[in-house]
Amino acid sequence: MNSATAPELPKLTAVSSGFVLAAAITALFNTALAWARDAYAPLNGILKSLTGNPWIAHCLADLVLFAGLGFVFAKTRAAEKIDPSRLIGALIAAVAIAALGLVLWFAFV
Amino acid sequence: MNISTSDVILLAHAAFGVTGCLAALWVFVEALNAQSGNAARIRAAALMTALSMAAAWICGGYWYVHFYPAEKAVILMGPWPFAHNLFMETKEHLFLITGILAFLLPVVAREKLYPNAVARKLVLAVAALIVITGLAVEGAGAVIEHGAKVALLRGGLKGDR
Repeated sequence: MNSATAPELPKLTAVSSGFVLAAAITALFNTALAWARDAYAPLNGILKSLTGNPWIAHCLADLVLFAGLGFVFAKTRAAEKIDPSRLIGALIAAVAIAALGLVLWFAFV
Repeated sequence: MNISTSDVILLAHAAFGVTGCLAALWVFVEALNAQSGNAARIRAAALMTALSMAAAWICGGYWYVHFYPAEKAVILMGPWPFAHNLFMETKEHLFLITGILAFLLPVVAREKLYPNAVARKLVLAVAALIVITGLAVEGAGAVIEHGAKVALLRGGLKGDR
């Protein structure tokens, strides 16, 4: 890298920061929905009635939430106000918590 | 040779998943050395990551819905029921996070990484998370298949006893 010829731009675009925040929220939502489906069987019935298979409905819910929140955050520039390093930390923490939450839930609950 | 549609779809699922992980690793390495000259390669590799993971998602999802119930029954009657109860249950939900991260990668790779340290850090983080969760999912897939194998070969099925 030649930082002498290129000035540092310490910010992310509204689109990037918006979709990063959306991904962090979606990762946590994904684990919460998995817990809810496992703990409350009728929820699977409701999801099954929507798409024929509860897992497909779970996938679609994640994709719609990620895309929807991403576009809203990008449009409103809401995530742009968050410090970029904090945003990156939040994404890593959300994925780690979500992944660990799934493993521990299915291992012990 | 007797290769069924189920076999082809399952192997395609795993192959696309590995390709997605390798493409994300490629993005990671290129981003470590981000320059104006490799910006197009980073974006191409990020797009390849998203497309490979989407293909893995579609193949895996089709196989899971149409063919897995029979294998699940075999696993649950064998000596390794945790191959489903822990590994498949975790994999089928953890993969969705990998998929979302794979769709995020081409979005963040559109940033100008060369002059922007925080954007580089973001691309490195997303690519690394895809590789780590993707490899965990691949490993879980191997355990699930082994759960079915030991049910059929080693211990026999509880229902047969």
